[in-house]
Amino acid sequence: MNEEKIITTIKENLKDKVLEITNPSPRRIFLKVDKNNLCEAISTIKEKLGFTYLITITGLDKTDSFELLYHFADDTNVINIRVAISRENPIVSTVTGVIPGAILYEREIQDMFGIKVENIPDPRPLITPDDWPEGAYPLRKDWKYERPGETIPGGK
Amino acid sequence: MEEFTVPIGPQHPALKEPISLRMTFDGEVVKHVDVRLGYNHRGMEKMAEERSYIQNLYLTERICGICSHSHTTCFAQGVEKLMEIEPPKRGLYIRTLVAEIERVHSHLLWLGVAGHEAGFDTFFMYTWRDREIVMDILESISGNRVHYAINTFGGVRRDISETQKQTILDSLSLLKQRTDYYANIGTTEPTFVARIKGVGKLSKELALSLCAVGPTVRASGIKSDVRKDDPYAVYNELPFEVCTADTGDVLGRVVVRVNELFECYKMIEFMLKNLPAGDIAVKAPRRVKENEVVSRYEAPRGENLHYIKSNGTDKPERLKVRAPTLANYPATVEMLKGCFIADIPLIFAAIDPCICCAERMVELVNDKNGEANIVSFSDLKKLASEQYKKCGNKPEPVSIAKQLEKIRRKS
Repeated sequence: MNEEKIITTIKENLKDKVLEITNPSPRRIFLKVDKNNLCEAISTIKEKLGFTYLITITGLDKTDSFELLYHFADDTNVINIRVAISRENPIVSTVTGVIPGAILYEREIQDMFGIKVENIPDPRPLITPDDWPEGAYPLRKDWKYERPGETIPGGK
Repeated sequence: MEEFTVPIGPQHPALKEPISLRMTFDGEVVKHVDVRLGYNHRGMEKMAEERSYIQNLYLTERICGICSHSHTTCFAQGVEKLMEIEPPKRGLYIRTLVAEIERVHSHLLWLGVAGHEAGFDTFFMYTWRDREIVMDILESISGNRVHYAINTFGGVRRDISETQKQTILDSLSLLKQRTDYYANIGTTEPTFVARIKGVGKLSKELALSLCAVGPTVRASGIKSDVRKDDPYAVYNELPFEVCTADTGDVLGRVVVRVNELFECYKMIEFMLKNLPAGDIAVKAPRRVKENEVVSRYEAPRGENLHYIKSNGTDKPERLKVRAPTLANYPATVEMLKGCFIADIPLIFAAIDPCICCAERMVELVNDKNGEANIVSFSDLKKLASEQYKKCGNKPEPVSIAKQLEKIRRKS
């Protein structure tokens, strides 16, 4: 299926829930929806267009807000669903109901950006250790790593 | 029946890299698997934001030791799109050539590991001996055995001479002959096939819903390969087929990888015989204007994805890396459920896990894990063989903790 056909099908099904849809390069489609319509958008492209394979979820810190990109692929095209998430209230609903394979990526987003994924089947940290400080989210732009001072035992 | 949890790892599961698998057993049968990551994180995505593009090229090279070329190619072709430059044909051919030779070395390595985990060490030594031929080819092209550093923005860094071409073609005929032999053994040798057939089943539906990638998904009968689906570099000019198997077990994964080896040889031969003349690289700018790109690449283990966002400076705003191993974990958990303890190494090795690929983000961490809880892989193997000796093929619930204690005391 070519890009134009995909774009029209998405527009027909989601109507005014499509905030923006672009096709900047061949086989790449960027679709922007509100975070409340995320699951609906995903089930639409899954059922109507056969995009079952979620490649990954990318988190972006745009300093005043966050953005999540859900990359989906079928046998030719990639649809990237973009949702904006406010910095004050970083919450997004889980997509594991539609795409069970999304669980590890959602846990990664929780660890790295502190974006809370609602109703996630397994909310434990995936990457950060058990003693990781509360509220430290490494991939946020305001998080800087400082190497702790080294003390050499027996040294000066 | 009493169920108990045994943590396997973080030290030495399957491929000598740290990952923690907490498994719940009912007797010999795996009931539940919990994957815990983070033991090999190096903070690469955060680091990338503070380095220039060319520095990042060498950083991405170090995401993985086995498929280092995959990550640089994925990154380079993404950045080239952002820079709006097009590498010359000869450069792209050399880039793809190295990629396919890398696939050969990775698949030969995996075949050996599969043999080793199945207790067939002769196979392991044979394939690894012949892998040396591939490593020599890579060294002759790039000067390095592991991190080839052949890519640069706008093309490749080193050209191939006529004599090199001839040597590669000569080695290739030897490799083909050897691979024929391995294909025969790996798929027909009765004891080996009996060990891997029906182990680690993954149905087509599960593979699809859990978003598995690479040879794992192709062995479940799904024709998914980025080289065909979303052709990059020169793959739309090359003759090759996507190899699949429909058994969905470890045997299927062996068949897929062996067949892929033959496809690789076909492509390498074609590329060497049809190498276009001309430049190998064009000049690339330092600064990149604001844009974003999604770059995909079919690594030996499955699909790589790099999402790169530029902001007009010489450093990326964000680099997101998704390596194939991470995508295969949910499927592996399903494969492991219901299998025997003795099959764990085999199934886990069958996705060809690369932990350093899957993990690349946070600073080095020190997880406070009680040392007494950690089961080494060799202990697990000993335990598995003892268990089987004791009760034949009918596993019965025995206290694993007690047995482990025994093994530990002995060693």
